Parts: sequence; structure tokens; C-alpha cells
Amino acid sequence: MSQGPGGETGFPALTGAAAAEPIAARRRPRSLGTRGFRAVSPYLLLAPAAIVIVAVLGYPVYLLVRLSFQQFGLAELVTKKGTWIGLDNYSRIFHDELFWTVALRTVVFTAIVVSLTMLFGTLIALLLARLGRFMRLLLTTGLVLVWAMPIIVAVNIFRWMVDFEFGVLNWTLTKLHVGDYLNKDWFADSKTGFAVIIALIVWGAIPFVAIVIYAGLTQVPAELVEAAEIDGARRWQVFRDVTFPILKPIFVIVASLSIIWDFQVFIQVWLMRDGEPEESYWLMSIYSFVEAFRLGEYGFGASIAVVMVCAMFIATFFYLREMIRTGETR
Amino acid sequence: MKRRSIGALALAAALLVTAVAASAGTSSPDRAAATKITVWLQNDAESGWKEVVTSTNAAFQARHRDVEVDVQYQSWGDHLTKFDAALAGGTAPDVIELGNTETTRYMASRLLQDITTQKGSFPNSKTWLKALTESCTYNGRLFCVPYYAGARAVIYRKDQYRAAGIKGTPKTLAQFQAAGNKLMKRYGKQRNYSALYFPGRYIWAGMAFVYDYGGSIAVKKNGRWQGNLNSTQSIQGLTKLKQVVSSLSRANKTGDEANPQQSLVFSKGRVGSFIGNGWEWPYALDKKVGNPSLASKMGAYPMPSHTPGKFMPAFLGGSDVAVPVTSRNKALAYDWIRIFTSTNSMRQLATIGKQIPNTTSLANVNAKNPQLAPFANASKYSFFVPTAPNWVKVENARVLQVLLQSIITGRSSVKSAADRASSQITRILNGPTT
Amino acid sequence: MSGRRASRIGWNALGLLVFLVMIFPVYWMVATSFKEGRNILSDTPQFFPNPVTLSNFQDAISRAYFWDVVRNSLIIVSAVVAVSLVVAFLAALALAKFGFYGRGAFIVLILAVQMVPLNALIIPLYIQLSRAGLTNHLSGVIVTYLTFVLPFTVWTLRGFMLGIPKDLEEAAMVDGSTRFGAFVRILLPLIAPGLVATSIFAFILAWNEFLIAYVFLNDADKQTLTVWLAGFTTQRGTDWGPLMAAATLTALPVVIFFLLIHRKITFGLTAGSVRG
Repeated sequence: MSQGPGGETGFPALTGAAAAEPIAARRRPRSLGTRGFRAVSPYLLLAPAAIVIVAVLGYPVYLLVRLSFQQFGLAELVTKKGTWIGLDNYSRIFHDELFWTVALRTVVFTAIVVSLTMLFGTLIALLLARLGRFMRLLLTTGLVLVWAMPIIVAVNIFRWMVDFEFGVLNWTLTKLHVGDYLNKDWFADSKTGFAVIIALIVWGAIPFVAIVIYAGLTQVPAELVEAAEIDGARRWQVFRDVTFPILKPIFVIVASLSIIWDFQVFIQVWLMRDGEPEESYWLMSIYSFVEAFRLGEYGFGASIAVVMVCAMFIATFFYLREMIRTGETR
Repeated sequence: MKRRSIGALALAAALLVTAVAASAGTSSPDRAAATKITVWLQNDAESGWKEVVTSTNAAFQARHRDVEVDVQYQSWGDHLTKFDAALAGGTAPDVIELGNTETTRYMASRLLQDITTQKGSFPNSKTWLKALTESCTYNGRLFCVPYYAGARAVIYRKDQYRAAGIKGTPKTLAQFQAAGNKLMKRYGKQRNYSALYFPGRYIWAGMAFVYDYGGSIAVKKNGRWQGNLNSTQSIQGLTKLKQVVSSLSRANKTGDEANPQQSLVFSKGRVGSFIGNGWEWPYALDKKVGNPSLASKMGAYPMPSHTPGKFMPAFLGGSDVAVPVTSRNKALAYDWIRIFTSTNSMRQLATIGKQIPNTTSLANVNAKNPQLAPFANASKYSFFVPTAPNWVKVENARVLQVLLQSIITGRSSVKSAADRASSQITRILNGPTT
Repeated sequence: MSGRRASRIGWNALGLLVFLVMIFPVYWMVATSFKEGRNILSDTPQFFPNPVTLSNFQDAISRAYFWDVVRNSLIIVSAVVAVSLVVAFLAALALAKFGFYGRGAFIVLILAVQMVPLNALIIPLYIQLSRAGLTNHLSGVIVTYLTFVLPFTVWTLRGFMLGIPKDLEEAAMVDGSTRFGAFVRILLPLIAPGLVATSIFAFILAWNEFLIAYVFLNDADKQTLTVWLAGFTTQRGTDWGPLMAAATLTALPVVIFFLLIHRKITFGLTAGSVRG
């Protein structure tokens, strides 16, 4: 990763004198004493956010972890006393062949969806930067509209666009002589079925990525870009060496959230299969819902949730490290 | 200046916390016992037979002047999650409607109040529909009250039958197949025409074939469940089903009957008949989404059995109403249920809501109504799912859907699909309960 | 420069194409809401509603509790957006401008929050809120939404703050303001695009969320728009026309909100035209 004049996190001033900024000025105040600031304590600033999160989620998460070691079903909802069974729930998961199939499928699925989302989202953000004012407003409004559609409605629209009997996509593809798609069952084969589902999810996720990255792009000063271009850099080099380093914190958070959200995809698959997904369509969240929550097996469901959290943790580990690190050189 | 900043922040934080706490303090009096009972019904009642609910509440209020009734309508999607959360949080309703395949696991977990000793006090308890009563019974004890049921019959185009040279309506399965063949001969050139619109996952209409030939989903022998779909009779039924569907249906082989709603497909004109519930007939004629011009061209008859003189057994879908054990107003809850399931209410449910009431004594209420009579007749022979506590796991595993789908798409032979389904069912039903 | 103009036209054309492709499903939703019921599921799809009808909208608006749920959703959303912006701004400041113990832990915490599947968490969450007496209250829902909105909001604002040069703060402080004052006066306007993006995110999350609102709110007049939309589906299937009409109405406030604040994104443009 190239270290541009702004470093990974710091950022040159808006004037062209940026590159000459001495390193000393970017020294991070380790405590609050530098330059006589005895101002606000960061803990106080952090407090409201931390309080809300811990107060609301602290006990439930603790309860969830505790539940994962218990046999806790419907009857226990009322008696509130589960039976301690140690790691039995976990061993049940790991001995289930279906679990491993579903886990692998979910990982591959997430990788595909996140890559496509980040790719198209970034491309559209870059496109937005090059549009005329009116067109930019039009496209952004369109993106917001897509983002604003309630997800149930969006899934249903896609579901009906590919419907066996009435699908407009089927009809259009046939009319355009792409092939005979009338009465095509997209879901008979899970490959084409997932293609439809992935298209739906990527479509719905693009606005968020595009708008946030575009907002990040607005912080890239033209002078730097022009300076790089004058030096003869090609467009993609400019992106790689100037734009991306500045975008990085945003990019990292968006990518991590995308991984986390896409790993937990549920309703799109559920509704596309009319509430009865075949096993070949099962993702982790569906496995968890059908095997545990539908049956009221809350202990078992909790253990699946814990396993999922660990998996997501591992998947986002590098991003996490990145996030913790950035800001340390200031 | 520094203090001001800190002060401002502290104030902001304190305000937030106070705001949250303050609203907690003004909790509404939902939890006051004995002045209010809460009833959870599904939103079908709200859209289909609201009058029954209003008149029940009025009658209840007259009898208990100081008690308020709060009816909250739920949607089918997540209502059990909401119920479980309410049970855990101590805010469960006093009366709840449960689908008749949803009751077993709550009964097995002892979360519904045992009302065996009060059975006689509920209206028409001696003539309750057998299938619904089964769904309320666990280990010989009663845990809920039957609410309503739906049975399926064949809904068809009289004009198409006439044009294809079919006289009257088929009285045996063989006649049904012959009639279907005539329809396909006359109209089958149209690419998506179906003499019988039958989507591949229509398990309840499909299982009827199994039961018609004397088969069943599972049987209990010596306290152990045994999957029975690969018995000779069941396989006969499944083979017959495959034959009928592949010759007469061009519906989606991996779809179900609700997406798209089959009566709406029927209303497009390219379907000769379909197997549907009573409410699906008027729905095909709905002035907004259906085709009202079909009104004079529609009819219905119970699906004929392969045995002359009988009908194919119909699956009785439906709902029951129960009182959770956590209720603090059980006596009031029972009373509300008594009024809600009274003969009068049931009669209204049948005529306005077009459902099958919970008692056979009212079976003739709709006998003169040609639109409702066939469905009431069809419920004469009925079947229900095995009342095993693990039955819901069989549903979750989609055993029946996979069975039907693989047979109808031709992916498996009838025998291998049935063998697989049977062993799965045996394993699941005898497995550990939660 | 004609080269520039030509390329601008080219980009605009591409932008239009992308717009049309992305917007098609939204168009389908809006068009469906103007179609008569029987033309919605049609063997030959209708690209333009014919005849156009307003009956779906009338149906949707006249359904019970429509205005109640609109009001509830607006209350929840306003509270979530407003409070999350303030709280997240403060927290982002801490993470961007200071080093302190527990920084890493907080970072992990707020990301971990997003990782727990809601299906698993909903019952423990309900128990917790029930103890606090917050079930069946809008405030319970607001507070819960905040916990899910804050992680992204805090991080994004932090990212934007990191992009602002220190000398601006320092210049402000030479003028005699406190560090915090400098933060507010200088930083806030410069991270406006970040504020816009995060407020849209908070808005949409709070506006479209279903499970939490459904489980936590019991009374029909306390529910949100999204939960109310679910009522269009009964065992008889879904009322497509009215549902699409209701959904179109549901999407409108988000767009209005966006149009009101979108100028703030372009604010950053004046600091240097955007290229990348």
C-alpha cells in the first residue's frame, strides 16, 4: 500500500503546501497534555454511545452466550430455568454434516456478494463524481429510492419479476430473443436461483456503498489529483495512489459491514422460495431459523449464533486490525 | 470554558438516560389484571369475519362490564416468535389463535392450559370436528378449542367441461382422469393451459391421494412412530398422483399453490380446474384482482375417490384458540372463547367468513349454498397430520414437499422418493423432543 | 474544451443507463400501485398501467391505523436520526482525535454488535426491555435502533474526521476557542457529507426495520409503517395493489428527507472539486 503524502490516515491541508507539512505536526498527543489542552476527556465523549450500546445489548448478549450452553426450549421460556449441558449444543452443530455444507455455502455466497457490491458500488461512486449536476442528482435520488424500498417489498418485486407464470423478466427476455424464458423456473436449479438472489441483494446494497463512498470522494482535493495527473499518472493509478488511501477508512468500514450483513442474509432467500427454501438454498441464518428457532430450541439457536459471530469475527479480522491501527500514527 | 464543555456533555448524557427512564416510568396499564384481557387473533379474522369478533366483544362486555377486551391481530409470518418473546417476557396474551399444525409443540412443552375438565362447558364440544379436536389433544388431554377449518374441493369451469364434452361432474378418480384428458385434448394446444392446475409443492392436495388409497404419512406402533409413505398403498396413491399431475397440469413443478395464488391463475382463463379452499372460489371472481365475468361459469365438487361413491379425504387446515398457562385471567379467557365459538358465532363464521365451523352440527348451514356446500361435503372424509410432538420438525425439514417435488419433476422414482421420505419421518418423529 | 464536454456527455449517458437499470424495480413497484388488480398478475406484463387507477392508494390510506403508523414511524425516525448524529459525533471525536486505553476494545465492541444475528437476540432483548418497562413503547424501539445505528455512524464520522487537517483546528484554537469549540465550529461543517450519509443510513434503518418493531410493539396504534405493511398479507395471499401503493407512500419520506439534505454532500465540493 503506497504511502502518499498524507500517510494512511493523516491528510494534507487543503492548500498545495500540504506535501511540505512537517512530520512533527502530526505527532499524536498521547495524553491530553500536548499544547496545553486540558479539554474534554475522550471517555466523556464516548460515554453516551457506550452507555446506550452496553445498556441495551449487554445483558442480552451475555444471556445469549449463557443460553448456548443450556438446553432451553419452549417449556423453559416460562420456567426460565434451562438445564446446563456444557458443550453439547456445540458438538451437535459440529457433528451435523448439513452444518458444514451450509457454512461453506454461506462463506462462498458472502464472498461473491460482497465483492460484487463493493465493485459496483465503488464504480458507481466514481461515476457519480463525473456526472453533471442534474444527472448526479437524478442518479443519487434513484439510488436513495432503491435504498428506501422496504426490503420485503423489494424481495417481492424481484420474486414476481422472475415468476414462473407472470414474470416480466421472463417475458422481456423472451421478447428480446435472448432465449425462451416463458414459464422458466429459475429456482429449479440452485445455481440460477442464487443468481437471482445475488442480483437482488447486490442491487439493494449498491446504493449504500455508492453513496457513502461518494461522500468520501468529496474529501479528495482536486489539487492532489491534478498534481498526480500532471505527473503523468493514469486514471487508475491516480485512484490507487491518491484517492484510495484517503478513502480507506470508509472503504474498510463499508466492506466489514457488508461482510457482516451479507453473512446473515435471510429474508431474501426465504421469500424467494415462498417461505419454504429447499436445503440446497440454505444459508446459515436459515439453518439456524429452521433447526432451532422454529422449534423453540433457544439454547441450540444461541450456540449457532455464537458460532456465526465467531465466523464473522474471523472474516473481518483483518479489517478490524486495520481499523484499530488507523489513527495510531496520528 | 472547559467546565462548560464537560458540563454540556454530562448534561446531554444525563438527559438521554433520563428520557429513557422517564418513559419507562409511564408504563401503560397493560399489566393490570382482571380489568383487561388480551386476545391474539390472526389478521384473517380482521379481513374476513370482523363481525364475529365485534359481536363477541359486545356480548362479553355485556356480561363483564368492568373488563376490557384488547384484540390484537397478528400476521402469520413471525407470530410465533412474537408469542415466544411474550411468554419469556411475561406479557403473553390471555387467548391466542394457533394454526392447527402449530399447537402440538406448545402442548408438548406444557405451555397451554389443560382444559380437559372444562370441555363440556364449551359450546358444541360433543360435535367438534374430529381433525381439529385431534390437533388440540395431547396424551389424551385437551389443551385448546377448535376454531375453524378449511377443506378443499375441485373448483372448475363449467363452460370448458361442456365444450369438451364432459357430462356432469366426475364421480370417480378414473372419470376425473378421463375428463381431464378431454380438456387437454380440446385446450391443451395453448402452451400454459392446465386441465388441473397442480403446483409441485401442493402437499395437502397431494397427500389426499395417499390417504385415498389407504396409505398414511406415519403410524404409531407400540409407542413408536413409523413413517408409512412407502407402504404399498401409499405408493399406489403417489403413483396415481404422478400420473394425474403429469398428464393434466402445466403448473410450476417446484412452486406452491399460494405463490401465485392459484385461483388468480385460474381467473386468467387458461385453467380447467384446480383443488382449492372455499374462499378461493369468490376470490377468483374478485372485482379487483379476479375475473367477475366467470361467475356463471364456475362450479365445485368434492374430489372423487378412486373408490366409487366416496370422496378423496381432505386435509383439514384450520386454527384453534388456546389459553397460555401464563394467563392471569383464565376464567375470563374461557368465557371469551365460549362466546367466540358459540353456535351463533360459528354460524356467522360459516356464512360471512365462508369457513368451515368447528362443529359438524352446523355442517348443513351451507348445504343450500352451492358455493359452499361442496367444501362442507368434502370435509366428510378428512385426514390430519400425525400428532407427534416432533411433527413440526418434519414440516421444517420439508419432507413432504421434497417428496412431491422429486416425484413430479421426475427427479426420483416414486419408490425411492417414498423410501427416503419414510425413513426421514421415522427418524425425526422418534428423535429427541426439544 | 470540447473533449471535456464530450466526455461529460458520455458519462451522463452512462449515468442515465445505470439509473434506468437500477430504478426499474422501483418503477415496477410504483407502476403496480397504479394498476388495477387484475392487471398486476398478468400473462402479458403491462409496462404502463392501463387504466390508471388511484383505488390502491385510497385503499391503503383508508386502512385502519394508517395515519397512526405514519406518525409513529416519523417519531421513531426523527428521534433515532437526531440522537444518533449527536451521540455518534461525540464518540467519533473521541476515536479520531484522542488516543486512550480502551480504544481498541470499543472498536471491537461496536463492530461485534452488528454481528449477533437478530433472530437469536430478539428474545433476550425482549426480556431486557420488558424488565425496563419499555415494551409496547416507542422509546424501547428507539433505544434499540440506536444500538444498531451507532456502530456504522460512529465509524463513518470518524473516518471523515480523520480526513480533516489538524492545522484548521489549531488555527481556530489560536483564536481562543476551546478544543471542543474548535471541533464543533470547524469540523462539523467539513464532515457534512459524512453526516448526510449516516443520517440517511439511520433514517432508512429506523424506517424499514420489521422484527424489532413487530415483537416489541403490541397495540395496533403503536406500530410502525413497516409492520403495518405486513398486514396486507393474510392466508389468502397478498393484496398486491394496495401493498405497492402503501410501499410507495412509505418510500416517499425517505426521498423527501434526502432531497432536503443532499446539498450538504455537495458542500464538500466547494473545498475542491471532486475527481478521483
